[in-house]
Amino acid sequence: MAKVDTRPDHHRLLLETIVQPASLTGYDNRQWELLLRLARRAQLSGYLAAKLEKDGLLDSIPARASNLLRSSLIQARKQQQSVSWELNRVMWALDGQEIPVIVLKGMAYLLQDLPNAPGRMFADLDLLVSKENLGQIESSLLKKGWQHHALTDYDERYYREWSHEIPALVHPERSVEVDVHHTLSSPLGKLKIDPLPFREAAVKVKDAGIYVLSPEDMVLHCAVNLFQNNELADDLRHLLDFHEMMLFFSSQQPFFQQKLIERANQLGLGNPLFYSLYFSRLLLRSAIPDDLEKQLDRQPGWLARRVMHHCVPLALLPQHPDHPSRMAGYARMWLYWRSHWLRMPLYRLVPHLAYKFYLSVFPARAETSK
Amino acid sequence: MKVEQFSLDQLRTLLAGSGLRVKAGPFNLSIQTCLPSLTDQLYRMYSHYSLVDETEIAEFHVRIIPKHSIRRPFVRLIQFQVDGRAPFPPVPVEQALATLEWGINLVIAMRVNHLLLFHSAAVERNGHVLLLPAWPGSGKTTLCTALIHRGYRLFSDEFGLMDPQSGEFFPLPRLMPLKNQSIGVIRDYLPEAVLGPEIPGTLKGTVAHVRPPQESIERADETAKPRWIVFPKWSAGAALRLESLPQSEAFLLLATNAFNYEVLGETAFDAVTSLVRNCECRKLVYSDFDSALAALDELTDG
Repeated sequence: MAKVDTRPDHHRLLLETIVQPASLTGYDNRQWELLLRLARRAQLSGYLAAKLEKDGLLDSIPARASNLLRSSLIQARKQQQSVSWELNRVMWALDGQEIPVIVLKGMAYLLQDLPNAPGRMFADLDLLVSKENLGQIESSLLKKGWQHHALTDYDERYYREWSHEIPALVHPERSVEVDVHHTLSSPLGKLKIDPLPFREAAVKVKDAGIYVLSPEDMVLHCAVNLFQNNELADDLRHLLDFHEMMLFFSSQQPFFQQKLIERANQLGLGNPLFYSLYFSRLLLRSAIPDDLEKQLDRQPGWLARRVMHHCVPLALLPQHPDHPSRMAGYARMWLYWRSHWLRMPLYRLVPHLAYKFYLSVFPARAETSK
Repeated sequence: MKVEQFSLDQLRTLLAGSGLRVKAGPFNLSIQTCLPSLTDQLYRMYSHYSLVDETEIAEFHVRIIPKHSIRRPFVRLIQFQVDGRAPFPPVPVEQALATLEWGINLVIAMRVNHLLLFHSAAVERNGHVLLLPAWPGSGKTTLCTALIHRGYRLFSDEFGLMDPQSGEFFPLPRLMPLKNQSIGVIRDYLPEAVLGPEIPGTLKGTVAHVRPPQESIERADETAKPRWIVFPKWSAGAALRLESLPQSEAFLLLATNAFNYEVLGETAFDAVTSLVRNCECRKLVYSDFDSALAALDELTDG
């Protein structure tokens, strides 16, 4: 059934490009200019450049566009090289300690050569370890020269008590942040995630000690990040990760989608997976059976679905750089609240947001500890 | 069509509306602002720039907007935005022009990787480029200003834009910010130089911009190969010295000086190697313009 696409033109332009990269050889310069700005804002210019390069199209587009896309691709490759080297250094620092380290997100996609990895921009190295090993990893890295950013007492406490990761570690000679997680979502959140099954199912990559999540868990983690941890603003690239991984793993393993549903049901992650499947199909036309998410034990209610259906695209897709829409602003604000609401109980959330607002007005008051 | 062919009212309409689209060397800029003071300054300082054809792609979209601060309710502030994002905190409205120019430099330095970007002044004489890389105390902008008023063509006072494959350099003639004492020095030495307003209180002290000569803007499409690399150093009262510099040392100085050397990796290594091999590398110590210009003329004569 053909539906009238009521999306704003700039959203359609960006989505059409992602779904159908060959279509952009027909764009006029005005469309190109807008597309380049949108892609940069969505942090997708490296991804687009990699796609075009793979299809041999980088030279059949306007020179200015090709120069900018090439520039982004060079930058993305450098970032990937930096994060890979950071992983190498972390493994060196942990040498001989027998701590299993699970690599998450961007670096994991790269290690696995997933189709969403080429040109993907990411600046951090995300790791998952067991809570028992957290102290040992932190002290090993600190001993070998990594440092924490100067943090306020408040932030320090926020990380240590309420967050699923410890404060980022950075080696002063390099600029890559190492985020060490002990679980996959805020421990205060409404959705309780037990990291143990994720760790148990992790897959060894190559060298001793490096693991990545199993394909189903990697896709689920992506969904949890999108619809549980993040605020969704300009987050289209993570939905694209989800879409590409769904496609790739489904083509690799005959019963992947079924296994994914079972795993989500087993871990109680129906809600985030529901939304990811829904929006991936809605925005990126993912080839996912229409009724796949009906098999999930947990699904959002009809009201939540209606609201999300209208709000999520306005947040995920970038605003028009010259004509930001007020509606999208409200949608983003609502999703910002939602993400905090999901991560913290109200008695923590209200003081937390009040404190953040206070700091936005008086940044000088955020005196660093020590 | 050039900016000077507009009336001030037409320029104001463009800047406050869809944006003034001008050509800056190999890039096209779109500039928006509704600030009357900045509009007046741009009318004078950008007068020689050509407009971009409507159907061409503009790479960078920048904007200067008025800003209100809860903490400083009685100061008129402005903010620089690129594609709707603000990389700098707001500054007083008087600093609008300096902030716009620095902002554009930042955007170029952050986003361009298809070219190798040296932090260097570049001028052309006899068909070849003379690079004057920045290093502490170099005063490259001041020396560059003197050179372009004495027969050299301005490429840029800030960026040496090199195509790593062909080795060609691209002109990027933009306003040149003189700082502090340099402003008086240039006013005395080059009364004919067109200077913008003196802007006090910026992060780099007082700044006044030199308008690039018309010829260098009109010939901004003419690329050239480099032939001389001179590391300048101004030193009060020093006798003039123009000494040759070993290629190995020039290589290290240039590699550490390029904005995107690390990002380009091997490509940059190869480009700097061939650059140093194909150029005469010198170190210049000077205290007065006359002798420095004479020495550089002699170097670039042959």
